[in-house]
Amino acid sequence: MNFTLDNIDGRLVGTARLEGRLDAQNSKPFQKTFLEWLEKTPLLVFDCTLLDFIDTSGLGAIVGCLRKALENKGDLKLAGLNDKVGMVFEITKAKRLFSIFASQADAASSFASELNPGTT
Amino acid sequence: MKTILAFRESEYAWVHEKFPCVHPLLLPLCNKPFIEFLIDFAILAGSSAVRILCDGGLGEVERYCEDGSRWGIDLSYASIHPDDSIHAMLGKNRKFCGEERVMIVSGFSFIRYDKRYDYKSFVSSMPPGEWSTCPGGRITLTGVPTKAVPDWLIADLSLMPLDSMTSYYQASMETLKTGESRYVLPGYGDEPECAFGRNVVISKSVEIRKPVSIGNNVQLLGNAIIGPSAIIGSNVIIDRESSVESSIVFDNTYIGEHLEIIGRIASGNRLNDPKSGASIAMEDPHLLSGIKKNRHLRSLPRKIVHACVALVIIAAFFIPFIILWPLLKLGGHWKSSPASFLAERTDETMPLAKVEVDASGAAAAIAVALSLDRYFRLFRVVTGQLALIGSTPLLAGESRPDAPAYVPAYLPGVFSYAEAEEWAATGGDATIVERFHLAHSNPLTDIGLVIKAFINRFQEKSTI
Amino acid sequence: MTITETSKIGIAILSLYGTLDALSAPELRNNRSIIDPEKTVVIDLQQVDFIDSSGIGAIVSASRQKRQPSGGIVLACMNDRVRKVFEITNAQKLFHIFDDTTAAVDFASSRQSASA
Repeated sequence: MNFTLDNIDGRLVGTARLEGRLDAQNSKPFQKTFLEWLEKTPLLVFDCTLLDFIDTSGLGAIVGCLRKALENKGDLKLAGLNDKVGMVFEITKAKRLFSIFASQADAASSFASELNPGTT
Repeated sequence: MKTILAFRESEYAWVHEKFPCVHPLLLPLCNKPFIEFLIDFAILAGSSAVRILCDGGLGEVERYCEDGSRWGIDLSYASIHPDDSIHAMLGKNRKFCGEERVMIVSGFSFIRYDKRYDYKSFVSSMPPGEWSTCPGGRITLTGVPTKAVPDWLIADLSLMPLDSMTSYYQASMETLKTGESRYVLPGYGDEPECAFGRNVVISKSVEIRKPVSIGNNVQLLGNAIIGPSAIIGSNVIIDRESSVESSIVFDNTYIGEHLEIIGRIASGNRLNDPKSGASIAMEDPHLLSGIKKNRHLRSLPRKIVHACVALVIIAAFFIPFIILWPLLKLGGHWKSSPASFLAERTDETMPLAKVEVDASGAAAAIAVALSLDRYFRLFRVVTGQLALIGSTPLLAGESRPDAPAYVPAYLPGVFSYAEAEEWAATGGDATIVERFHLAHSNPLTDIGLVIKAFINRFQEKSTI
Repeated sequence: MTITETSKIGIAILSLYGTLDALSAPELRNNRSIIDPEKTVVIDLQQVDFIDSSGIGAIVSASRQKRQPSGGIVLACMNDRVRKVFEITNAQKLFHIFDDTTAAVDFASSRQSASA
């Protein structure tokens, strides 16, 4: 998993590329790593293009990440869900909690469009 | 009057692919097997005997429908070739047809009929020829009409091809919504559009929104929302807080808690989108999973017998193996490469080593004659992954017509039943023998066949 | 097993009686009409009360002897017991199967004249 920071119209947006599987095996360390990312910026994107599989504990971890991001006055957006992962989000109703985008670029730039005087 | 129902495997191949757990002719429409709708219609049209023709296997259909006495008719089965015309079908069933009027319903299509019409007098006054058609399906009549004018002038019907998951979904939903007055549907219920099977346990807080059809042995747990337009099969559990709407849930499926199934077909751990045709296997058993049935192929006594005999063989050949194996391995005559084979359970694979012994030299010849190339596989019998004798293990990843999803029985073994028979050498003949024995053998005959297979291999290899 | 052989418009009709298994299969395999690659044979299975995989094997290998695999051997009057064994082994796909011997002979002769 690699993590990059981009400057979008003066604000730092962090993008994590999730890869392979997110399940009971690795969801705990994943949540720990997420806290490190959160220290850098509360505006985050998970690029799921390379995420093949997610189970209920992985899903729980991502929802947990969203909650922490919101607590820090930020947001967590998702991008590039494949059919399999998308179907899991859909039937578990988790889809409604997230803003989901087709690509990482769309997700990152959406933070910029939310930037208008008055909200920050 | 008599009815012939004729099907070709190619027409329903998509069902094999999407719903391998059910024979296509038993595909449930609103919890009633497809073939039963056609049998009902044949009876409405006045048939005393029905014959089901197919170019594929009918074993499961026959086990389900039996001889038709349940419906008060005479039901029989016969085989046809994929390219047989209606004329050829009539020829192959000349004795069955006799001198009577025959209605031939061919194709994997759904007949929209209405049980309130009098098809009997209508059919007996129709001229011979085609009655109704749709792409891939038709109803034809032979013989002279026995009545000049029908008692009823209208007896409407139409055909709807079942050629994909999309049309199957449409037919199911249509049957659920309008079916009760038109067809005979299973289930009990005081209210219209709400049918329940036997032993359905519904927690207090469950909400049922009509129309719904629910099978037997179903558990609906707290706060689940069922419907509108939900078809739930038998042996299904819908866990807490989940909702099922405009969807079909097949038999033996578990739907986890807090889920939302809308516009989907769930079958075991597979979730299908009837609109796009996309089908996805869920790996997480908390979400969706199949509820397993015991399979008689691998009953416990058989497993124990196989494991015990395997242990005896392991012990008996330990000394020759421990001498010959290092010898051959060092000499480069023993080549082993890992490969993935299909396991007994559908959708699962297992790694097995492919061993090739270069049979030049005395040591190699003895090793092959004693079947030492299969020695490592014997341990898999002890752990229960392989049978001692069964089918030849199939390589995973090859798409082939005899893949386990399509055949009635597949049980990978160290030895194969084909090796126990002399006449079957290769290919199709071997599968014929394997299927015969998978259906007919028991643990004791298995031991005899293992010995036969062993001797056959011994003779074959020692004569080369 | 007993085999009764009759002939109709050049087609041999073999009616089998009794058990077709490993013991009796050679008898069918060595029948003169079966061996003849040019001869079309209708096998009437009405009176077969038991058949096993060797029996099926004998019929399958008989059809392999013929010049035209599916026209050479035509099966007729399978009873339920025999049909179920064919079904389990999927061997029914290899043959044209009729429920009436006369219809089988008609089919066999039309095929023979079409290929001649």
